[in-house]
Amino acid sequence: MLRVRVAFLVALLFSLAVIFRIGKIQFVEGERWIAMAEEIGLQYRNVKATRGSIYSDNGSLLATSLPFYRVAFDPSVASDETFDQGLDSLSALLSGYFGDRSAKYYYRKISKARSADRRYLVINNQRVNYQDKKTMQTWPIFREGRMKGGAIFEKVDLRFKPFSHLGTRTIGFINENNQGAGLEYSFNHVLAGTDGRALFQKMAGGSWKPVYDRSESKAVEGMDIETTIDINLQDVAESALLRALKQHDANYGCVVVMEVETGYIKAISNLSKNKQDKYWELYNYAVGEQGLTEPGSTFKLASLIALLEDSQVQLTDSIDTGEGTFLFYDKVMRDHKKEGYGMLSVAETFSKSSNIGVSRMINEHFGLKPDRFITYLDQMGLTESLDFQMKGTGTPYIKDPADPSWSGVTLPWMSIGYELKLTPLHTLAFYNAIANGGTMVKPIIVKRISKAGETWKQYNPEVIRESVCSESTLKKVRQLLELVVQEGTAANIKDSDYHIAGKTGTAQKVKAGGGYERAYYTSFAGYFPADAPKYSCIVVIDNPKGYNQYGSDVAAPVFKEIADNIYSRDPDMHQLFDPTYTAEIGVFPVIQSGHLQDLQLICNTLGVSNHAGTTEEWVLAKRNYNSVKWMENEILPDRVPNVVGMTLRDALPLLENHGLKVSYRGNGRIVKQSPGFGAKLDSGSKIILDLS
Amino acid sequence: MKRADDIKASKLDWLTILVVIALALAGWLNIYAVVYDSQIDQNIFDLSSNSGKQILWFGISVVVVTLIMIMDFRFFDSFAFVIYGVIVLLLVSVLIFGTVVSGSKSWFELGFIRFQPAEFAKFATALAVAKFLSKPQMKLDRLKNWALLIIVVSIPAVLIILQGDTGSALVFSAFVIVFYREGLSPLLVVVGLIAVTLFVLTLLLGQLYIILGILVTAAILIAAGKRTANKVRTVLAIATVTIGVVISVDYVVNNVLQPHQQNRVKAFINPEADPLGYGYNVTQSKIAIGSGGFLGKGFLEGTQTKFDFVPEQSTDFIFCTIGEEHGWIGSFILISLFVTLLLRIVYIAERQKSNFSRVYGYGVASILFFHFAVNIGMTIGLFPVIGIPLPFFSYGGSSLLAFSILIFILLKMDAHRMQVLVH
Repeated sequence: MLRVRVAFLVALLFSLAVIFRIGKIQFVEGERWIAMAEEIGLQYRNVKATRGSIYSDNGSLLATSLPFYRVAFDPSVASDETFDQGLDSLSALLSGYFGDRSAKYYYRKISKARSADRRYLVINNQRVNYQDKKTMQTWPIFREGRMKGGAIFEKVDLRFKPFSHLGTRTIGFINENNQGAGLEYSFNHVLAGTDGRALFQKMAGGSWKPVYDRSESKAVEGMDIETTIDINLQDVAESALLRALKQHDANYGCVVVMEVETGYIKAISNLSKNKQDKYWELYNYAVGEQGLTEPGSTFKLASLIALLEDSQVQLTDSIDTGEGTFLFYDKVMRDHKKEGYGMLSVAETFSKSSNIGVSRMINEHFGLKPDRFITYLDQMGLTESLDFQMKGTGTPYIKDPADPSWSGVTLPWMSIGYELKLTPLHTLAFYNAIANGGTMVKPIIVKRISKAGETWKQYNPEVIRESVCSESTLKKVRQLLELVVQEGTAANIKDSDYHIAGKTGTAQKVKAGGGYERAYYTSFAGYFPADAPKYSCIVVIDNPKGYNQYGSDVAAPVFKEIADNIYSRDPDMHQLFDPTYTAEIGVFPVIQSGHLQDLQLICNTLGVSNHAGTTEEWVLAKRNYNSVKWMENEILPDRVPNVVGMTLRDALPLLENHGLKVSYRGNGRIVKQSPGFGAKLDSGSKIILDLS
Repeated sequence: MKRADDIKASKLDWLTILVVIALALAGWLNIYAVVYDSQIDQNIFDLSSNSGKQILWFGISVVVVTLIMIMDFRFFDSFAFVIYGVIVLLLVSVLIFGTVVSGSKSWFELGFIRFQPAEFAKFATALAVAKFLSKPQMKLDRLKNWALLIIVVSIPAVLIILQGDTGSALVFSAFVIVFYREGLSPLLVVVGLIAVTLFVLTLLLGQLYIILGILVTAAILIAAGKRTANKVRTVLAIATVTIGVVISVDYVVNNVLQPHQQNRVKAFINPEADPLGYGYNVTQSKIAIGSGGFLGKGFLEGTQTKFDFVPEQSTDFIFCTIGEEHGWIGSFILISLFVTLLLRIVYIAERQKSNFSRVYGYGVASILFFHFAVNIGMTIGLFPVIGIPLPFFSYGGSSLLAFSILIFILLKMDAHRMQVLVH
């Protein structure tokens, strides 16, 4: 029958067409399809390297990357039974956890995605931490896992700053485009590590699964950077600054605290008003380009050094500062004191900060040889960039006499800190050099780059200028700086316990478009203790409002607050015979126990008669008439040793060798220990020490 | 009737049975391959996996087939309309009581078993059509009979469309092949084919060119030869109708078809336009098949069909797995098996003594052919994507059971063909 044959024929023809078509897809177009598969199904993707951490000087974390997870969901994989039974409670739990939407919202969102046959749904963009992720994995539907429940947890590293706002700007940030600020940005090349590359395969729902492939390169984790920042000091600096800014309704302010000998920056804080009139770390004024300003009177230190170096001027020489105004060519210079200071000694021009006095002396001496003045500035390390570790550091602007804008009034104004620009950090580095016996060291904020504790690069203190001036000049200016606080412009911050040396600065701000406005840039730069400087510090407060607009009233008290705090916390700075302690015990130092050899050394150096009643390493001090007798401090292997009276430095190794975990509070010597001496020792147990 | 005839008559057609079993087993292995993950190493019999469920349904099918084998062969002839009626009732009730799965309300849920009455409507309709056409007084030249026949086929089809399963409903168009065999005018078939061709050509080339083409053809036809009034009228009438069809294409595509169906049509016409958008299914399917080459990647070695690259890869797109893992050779063997099965069924149908079983046989062949052609055709871009399973091969219990019933009713009647009194 014809029709049957037609049916046969059609079926056969169709089958042949199919076979031909498959052959075409496989043989003719095969490579194209394979290429396309690679294009859309397999991909080389970057494997993000874990970013390194930023540490404070004592190893506290300032910034670190923590794994967080984004919760997504493949609504199509759960069985109907699992899905229908679990969705109600899952929605309720999600709503409870995220707290932003109702359970109904999640219910609808998920069931809608399921009926639309979607394979990927971001439940919430909020990231969850590891603990919460673990909890979520016990929730209905989610607990069935990826393949049967459809829960997808995508790991994302988030930057976490344990001290939240503290030093935010200095720690900085970095965005996806590798733009940013602060240490995160400046040290991005070491922090970031190297992203790896690996072959990934597309999974249901747009997630990617790594596939083994020989060409993959592993991600190299970022290195850690260890800063010089002291978290406690940072906190003190920041809160002192904030209080002052609020009190004076200032535009912005910054504080930098530096360790004199090393140039280590122990604290750096920058606060400026944001749009909501709140103070926030928005820009690093201490270091950055925008922080470059005319320093004002703090610069008089440089002028005076140049003068002392280049002339026979004595501090006791006198100079007439007139009646408050002085005309340099066509420009009037004024002193702070309206009616003028009259006759002043050189020392007084400085301590009272007479503009006329300083500029007249400089103009008279260097007026015909301004080059020489600049040479001195150069010798003081003030003309060239600090080459600081952070990117965007402001470069000093110091005019050259050959510059066409150099005029007859340039030198006198320059001598009092105008017509030139320095960053607060640079001014501080200069004052630090004076504190450091004339040696200018480079400010350092990162002292070590390491990986897994192994040093990769160490930044050692670096000398910029061996000596910024001669010994004799140094001695003189240090006296002067002390004088400023003792009886000069900053006498309001004088302290009886320790001496501060420093200089106030009040510069009129340049108006937009030229000229100066009645707004001030106040500062105080100095160091302490004056006789054996340990820390230098600069405080800058821009545009304070109200009656008190001078460096002495605005910036200096912040300096004092910070200095007081450091002083109270740093026992090394205290005088050895602290009267509050020695009162009871008399002539003997407050030593109760410690390491025999060390104690003997101290006593011998101080001329305290002492003798040992034991040969043991660890001793207790007993008073024996007019001398100290060292008694054996019984250290038993299974008992808690007595550490009361020891310094932490002695106690720590002793206790830790006994397998105890030490935690302590306070500073100074140990006054209390818990558990006490002789208690049965359990290895790995904790001991708490109170220091005072 | 001689005893020897009895023995001969009771003989089942083992070739068909072997092919069916081969297809079902190959399908089962492929369902396992689709979900296989070397890291989990799932057992093929694991009842929580697709492959485990499929073997369970395989068992159920064997039980049902055995029941068919021990039933009286005359049962299907006698109860054809009853079975049809029951299935239509089921189709109606699924619209009311059914469960919605992936957008279509076409499932009954009985405890842990889920089944889809639409699958069973195929053999029921085949039985009803066979019964209707085998009536002694049936003459297909009467319009009334045609109308009734079309109603018989349309009722389940429309109910299935209402469930939201257009793909399964389209299967009923396969009965055209049966009608053709039973005397449908070839002219109508040709007209139908021309309509479909025009439809597709319009989509491919655009309305304007097709209309111009029709007008030119009509002008040539009128100009050539004798210009009788009758001829001119006929040509003009045909031209008008075809232009009407062409103009309706846009309307149908944009207004009758749902968005996802429009996309499938678009993807079919121009798969390159948006390979990752609406052309995604077919692109992925072609990638899977294309990456197979001559010998394939080997059993369980396919990567495209795993990881959900190919959507619905264990049901509608199961053929990709063959293409990818077993290459051209595997595809060739599979297609040969299907062609063998189809031709064997046509052969069986032709040797029937009764009209009922012959028409039924053609029904079976048509339904299988439609599934086979459309399913494989869509995976390689010969047809638009229509979500229907590959018989015996795709994952799905209802479909496996329904196809088993479909074929074994024919085999049962074939075994008893000698006992049938010729009408």
